[in-house]
Amino acid sequence: MNNLTILVVDDDPVIRRLLEQRLAKENYSVLLANDGSEAEKILKGSHIDVVLTDLMMPGTISGMEVIDMAKNLNRNIEVILITAHSSIDTAVEAMKKGAVDYLEKPINFTELFLRLEKIATMRAILRSAEDLRQAMDVTETNASGTIQHLELTVRDLQQKIDTIESILRDDATDSDSRIGEALNILLN
Amino acid sequence: MLKIAAEELKIIAQYIHEISGISLDQSKSYLFETRLGSIAEELGCTSYRALYDKARRDPAKKIERQIIDAISTNETLFFRDTSPFELLKHKIFPDIIDARAPRSPHTKSNIRIWSSASSTGQELYSIAMTLDELLGAQIKNFNFQLLGTDISDNVVKQASYGKYNKFEIERGLSRQTLQKYFTLFGDSWKVKDQLRGMVNFRKFNLMHPFTGLGKFDIIFCRNVAIYFTLEDRKKLFNKIADSLADDGYLIIGSTESLTGICSRFVPKRHLRAIFYQKK
Repeated sequence: MNNLTILVVDDDPVIRRLLEQRLAKENYSVLLANDGSEAEKILKGSHIDVVLTDLMMPGTISGMEVIDMAKNLNRNIEVILITAHSSIDTAVEAMKKGAVDYLEKPINFTELFLRLEKIATMRAILRSAEDLRQAMDVTETNASGTIQHLELTVRDLQQKIDTIESILRDDATDSDSRIGEALNILLN
Repeated sequence: MLKIAAEELKIIAQYIHEISGISLDQSKSYLFETRLGSIAEELGCTSYRALYDKARRDPAKKIERQIIDAISTNETLFFRDTSPFELLKHKIFPDIIDARAPRSPHTKSNIRIWSSASSTGQELYSIAMTLDELLGAQIKNFNFQLLGTDISDNVVKQASYGKYNKFEIERGLSRQTLQKYFTLFGDSWKVKDQLRGMVNFRKFNLMHPFTGLGKFDIIFCRNVAIYFTLEDRKKLFNKIADSLADDGYLIIGSTESLTGICSRFVPKRHLRAIFYQKK
């Protein structure tokens, strides 16, 4: 059902396990990283739709930096930040960096699933818009070829009619040769 | 979503035609409902008839503008169809520049270009980028006037502001063009002043007389007449013929035709594109 692939980044093995189990139960594909540098490796090597990352982690790469990393690799990756104690400032900073959402520990799974569903819906809408555009492009290209051809054919025929008309109206020549000339143009 | 009654369809369709020229298919009631339903609800109207009455009685015409914004289709992208822009680069701009070359070093010829249904501005900015790429510093030898008009206030505002989100930017722009003409602005991109300074946008209803617009050398009228009745299309292209310089160029949408609509134009082909000139 759910075809989103989620990367969970957290140094706490208990939380990693918990998230893995709950997400897998909801039919999400889950990958795990215990710090920023492991997350980087996975982000570079696999297709990820959503990153769920802890804010505070040991090592050189913080949760904030995971947002940057993911967004730089692929703007379409959505990041949800998880923190022990939230502050407006952290939330604002995370959103500025491109995080789509923000969750407080202990994780409320109902809330998390709702947000993931929202992301999945948004992706499906974008995908269908893209499909429609492509379908429109193909239709337009085909139609435009046909229309161009018709437009130029009508123009050429109109020119022929105009020439024939002026020949037939030309009193200076006798009618037999006028008709002959007109037929010539018509049949060519 | 508020349902539209059969007898309301006719009144609303006529009203929309009157204010915008847009001819909506009355057999597709969902078109009316999806586009006008939320305006009706927002204004506390319990029927489309009530919305109509309210719009008619609104002296500031605010509701009329809201309805136009909702009903008009703003689908556009940078360099849509590509072939008209190839045509500009390889045929139309070189020809026009040649024809309008200043006779003395102290004079500058006007070259006027009109994007007549400019939506959120992508078409006119694409024309300006093509022009800038082609002419570079030589652009100053002419007095270029690039005008974009649209019936919808909202899109004129967005076009003037020149800010595009990542979805709009991803459609049609190469990385290189993006870097050259846009600057990152939060999560969006904004047109650089140099490009913004080349163009002007204002509100204009193509159903109204073209007085005060003057003559243009190049007119883009793409994918807007398709929403009009045959009768209105004839009137529109007749007015366009009046507003186009004798040696000017008209570009219509790639799936549009002037056959049976306006005999004052003749189609011409260059490379894979078609353009129209006056007979």
